[in-house]
Amino acid sequence: MRRQVGVTGMGVVTPIGCSLAAFRANLLSGVSGAGPITTFDPAQLPTRIAAEVRWEGPILRDRKITFALEAASQALLGSGRPRGRGGLSLGIGLELFSMDDLAETRRPGFVPPHSRRERLGFLQTPSDLCVSLISKRHELAHPPMTHVSACAAGTDAIGAAFRRVAEGRADWMLAGGTDSMVNPLGVAGFCRIGATTTANEDPRRASRPFDRRRDGFLLGEGAAILVLEPVEAARARGAPVLAEVAGYGCSFDAHGISEPHPEGRGALQAMTRALDDAEIAPGAVDAINAHGTSTPKNDPVETLAIKKLLGARAKDVPVYATKSMIGHLISAAGAVEAVAAVECMRAGIVHPTINLDEPDPDCDLDYVPHRAREQAQRVVLSNSFGFGGQNACIVLRRTGA
Amino acid sequence: MSSPDLVVTGVGHAGPPCDSSGYLKVRKQRKFMGLQDELAVVAAGRALESAGLPGPLGARAGLFLAVGYIPFEQSDIDLLLAGSLTDGRFSMERFSTDGYASVNPLLTFRCLSNMPAYHVSVNFDLQGPYFVTYPGAGQFYQALEEAAAAIRGGRIDVALVGGVAHQDNFLVRHHFRRLEPSEDRRVDSAGILVLEAASRAGPRVRGRLLRWTIDYRAVDPFEESPSPVEIGADGAMGPASLPVALAQRPSGRFRHELRSRDGFVASSEWELA
Repeated sequence: MRRQVGVTGMGVVTPIGCSLAAFRANLLSGVSGAGPITTFDPAQLPTRIAAEVRWEGPILRDRKITFALEAASQALLGSGRPRGRGGLSLGIGLELFSMDDLAETRRPGFVPPHSRRERLGFLQTPSDLCVSLISKRHELAHPPMTHVSACAAGTDAIGAAFRRVAEGRADWMLAGGTDSMVNPLGVAGFCRIGATTTANEDPRRASRPFDRRRDGFLLGEGAAILVLEPVEAARARGAPVLAEVAGYGCSFDAHGISEPHPEGRGALQAMTRALDDAEIAPGAVDAINAHGTSTPKNDPVETLAIKKLLGARAKDVPVYATKSMIGHLISAAGAVEAVAAVECMRAGIVHPTINLDEPDPDCDLDYVPHRAREQAQRVVLSNSFGFGGQNACIVLRRTGA
Repeated sequence: MSSPDLVVTGVGHAGPPCDSSGYLKVRKQRKFMGLQDELAVVAAGRALESAGLPGPLGARAGLFLAVGYIPFEQSDIDLLLAGSLTDGRFSMERFSTDGYASVNPLLTFRCLSNMPAYHVSVNFDLQGPYFVTYPGAGQFYQALEEAAAAIRGGRIDVALVGGVAHQDNFLVRHHFRRLEPSEDRRVDSAGILVLEAASRAGPRVRGRLLRWTIDYRAVDPFEESPSPVEIGADGAMGPASLPVALAQRPSGRFRHELRSRDGFVASSEWELA
């Protein structure tokens, strides 16, 4: 017997707010978190803008670890600690190395750092360290799950945690994603393969999903973590049930290394599997939080896959892109976008896709351009499609729907 | 957990030197592949051959893969650094022009953790679902657990469960040498099992997963390591250690135990035909 799984807490660290309240307010107002890169001097790189987190407290050298620790604490503060044995399921980005440290190793007389803490942070910090720190801080009993499915990782992390709770393999889970690739190697790596926007002169208008003039994604950073537990257990302890995770599906495109399947096969499979898992018909979908990267290749294929899923209803269902405001948070994207979707459902408002001035003719759905819209939503899909053809989708349902 | 309903129908492993050309749908794709990608494809190909599962796998097959730490070769590091220094210090300005331009753009594809999964999916037409995790032997056990749940939940008929790690390179060596005690011996390898429901496998059964356990004690990695070294079939193989051990074992009962640096305590028992 599968258990109904609720979201009872959410924590966020994003370019438009480092608390749930700030994130919600800016999201619904259509505020962009983009700006010139400040965490390093991008000098003459083709991309010199990003959506950075304005973090004012102490921060570890690997920013994404600080973001994840903060998001987890926020989520548990909101939820209260669920009963029983908890676990963690986290999408996390690569352990890139520091070019400064690398240069230091080549200097005459170089001596490696002495303490264990300094050694583990020098040159690069292994990303699995993050899940260990969260598990230790919150005394989690289950082995942490780490997801490295690139841009789909945050959604995969929520989906996998949902399954564990639904199937009784865990009493409760922290689930989400964290990433920061706003560093020399991260930005340069994306520039080298032509993935990021070069609209440096107007950062707030650079991320423009589904717009004709989109030219690549805006790199973002941040984290989001959700508390998932059985709805029945949450109600028994008086915890708020913010929404229900009702289904999860994932798929491989099995097609191109950097381009989606031209017919949207994998994206459609992920959405269909998620709805089948939730035992919900496509006709019941009220809105879709799109992957919507603002890249030439993703947006029309996602549009096509949504049309195949929804059929004649496709143009009546709002499809909105959080990345228009916060950029692409890579391994954290799906988690932050799940929080955005839950907040929209709770508010009865669909947040806008900003910067959609001139729709691409191949992107002809209702993307909620410019301004938020009041609209009740009972069932929402949240999509994440990864570089390398990994596609993930979760179904969120308003509590009591 | 006891698991008489799950059987192994195929095993495959690979180590360097490794040429995946024979398994590639499009041989030109090899230029995108790093060693970990080639190892994963060859191990998967051999596992599927031994399972008697030729041809496209389609939508009812899943991949559950634990991948090692991000690899980065000394030669690439040297090239990048040579174009990024001024007076012996890192210069963002030089990096932005010379350093970054000197690196092969395909390098990004060759070191990403999700790329072994991509190459397996595309060359065997595997359309998911998947679980791609990282970075050690403990995570292989989680891949196994997720695969078992997917088969039992009726979401798939066939699971490729594996581990792959390219570890004999600058960046991964750096990581293991800074631990206490440091480890110099790291092995590049991949191992893949084909797992199916017993009811489906028929005479193709090559072994059984009898039972497994997976436990955990959270540790603060800045403060301690619960196990001074990884204890497993061959800890130097990272996430590939157990599937490679199974692939190399001819027959009989096999028990595997693991105590990992990151707090995993796991064991499994297998019976190989």
